[in-house]
Amino acid sequence: MNIPKIVSDFRAGLASDELLVQTCNACGKPNMWPRYACPHCQSENLGWTRSAGQGSLHSFCVLRQGAPEGFEDDIPYAIGVVKLDEGVQLAVRLQPEGTEDWSAYQCDDRVEFVGKDGARECAVFRKSSD
Amino acid sequence: MTEHWSLHSTAGAANDPVFVGVGELKTGKFPERGFVEALTRVAIQAIKDAGMVPRDIDTILLIPNLHSAADQADLVFSRMVEELGIHGSCKSSFMVHSGGSTSDNAVRTAHGLITAGHAKNVLVLQCERWGSADLNEMITMLSKNGIPGEWELPTGIQFNAIGAMITRRYMYASGSTPEDMASICVTLRKWANLNENAMFYEKPLTIEKILSSRMVADPLHAYECPPMADGACAFVITNTENARKRGISNAVRLAGSGGCVSHYCLSQEPDQAVLGWPLAAERAFNQSGWGPQDADILEIYDSYAAVTAIALEGIGICPKGEGARWFAAGTGDPGGKLPINTNGGLLSAGHTGVGGGTALLVEGIRQLLHRAPAKRQVENCQRAIIGGTGGSYMDAQILLLERTQLGA
Repeated sequence: MNIPKIVSDFRAGLASDELLVQTCNACGKPNMWPRYACPHCQSENLGWTRSAGQGSLHSFCVLRQGAPEGFEDDIPYAIGVVKLDEGVQLAVRLQPEGTEDWSAYQCDDRVEFVGKDGARECAVFRKSSD
Repeated sequence: MTEHWSLHSTAGAANDPVFVGVGELKTGKFPERGFVEALTRVAIQAIKDAGMVPRDIDTILLIPNLHSAADQADLVFSRMVEELGIHGSCKSSFMVHSGGSTSDNAVRTAHGLITAGHAKNVLVLQCERWGSADLNEMITMLSKNGIPGEWELPTGIQFNAIGAMITRRYMYASGSTPEDMASICVTLRKWANLNENAMFYEKPLTIEKILSSRMVADPLHAYECPPMADGACAFVITNTENARKRGISNAVRLAGSGGCVSHYCLSQEPDQAVLGWPLAAERAFNQSGWGPQDADILEIYDSYAAVTAIALEGIGICPKGEGARWFAAGTGDPGGKLPINTNGGLLSAGHTGVGGGTALLVEGIRQLLHRAPAKRQVENCQRAIIGGTGGSYMDAQILLLERTQLGA
């Protein structure tokens, strides 16, 4: 399958433990998920900014059964939606606090980017250390 | 204040679309009941209920199925026109699709076709075989609906995870307890216990049973997840002039509608405890001229309890944050102040995919036609609020239906 450049660029960032936020070179606004044209000004002149990786946890869940095909061995795992301080939001995996334990997480917790989730093309976040 | 959009038809006008008949088969697991067989039976049921014969139908609007691409192709390529014997006389047969909110958009489509004169007698037709399909295949398919493959699929997100995140945010924002959330499922079960077509007609449910069931996707327990079911339903819409000629004196009309497509994937929704409901409601009430206080019944999409609680608040049925406690107080129960999801909803009548919303709509029409079985018919039912939503709860769609006298 042909992977679009905005996808391979974003994934290359994750692979080097950088969370990239697409940023429009024309209007300066951040876009998440990355788009083919800026949804704010329709420019196709789009670049990347490295996120500071800080944000708040809007919500999350721990999936304990019914994994999609290929995710069976990951169970249980926690998925969250993070609002980055840069003003965009994304779906992530949450790092457990102990073995398979996400009980310390709450909505609106401050969270921070950890890196890429092993073989998965998604970001991992954990509770902020500060 | 939202811009005022008027419908191009008024109550009693010759071109005003009216709902005149409904049909429904039992919901549950019926592996022996074929797809085309069910579609045929439910279509004939709705057409007869409308006092018509199949040849009266000039337009078929098809609600999609999610269990099979081959069955979908049969629908799209007009199989039902032959099965019903209306090939030649039928002008148009096509599919409308927006996931769980399809039935709302099918009503808008039919309404526009009839009002403008493109159609006279429209049959809206639905069948799903989720209950008999392979569960693992369906889970994988549902990890692709409303979920961008390149961005979110890698997290392992699927439908219960989406429902669980909305539920958690809702509980956090409203201070609702697990007991409050479970009470929503119990209200729906009480209604299902009055509906012989419901998957769980004969099975009672309690808060204790829900909270002691296994955790599927924290904070959702097994009994808070929608049961995948087979089902089929249909309804007929015509114009007022035609209904009068046929001697129909009471029917149901669309007073107004409103919608808001708030996102595509859940991660882009700014507030999971609000969704698109407040904007959809403002638009719907602005068009109809009546408000939440005027409804006699509610039929609101309920694939997860929190989805319905959030909708109630956005529509203005209860104050913000009080949706789950509205249920816990018994307000929506049989005999309660404002009956809700009187067929048992998706959670207790059964989740028939795209058809879950269609079944709620059909129940609303049936109640307004005063054709529900006596044990669950809401007395003097005049106005209904229908709410639908699809995918990752990408949209909020509201139809305001009212009983109307045609003076035939």
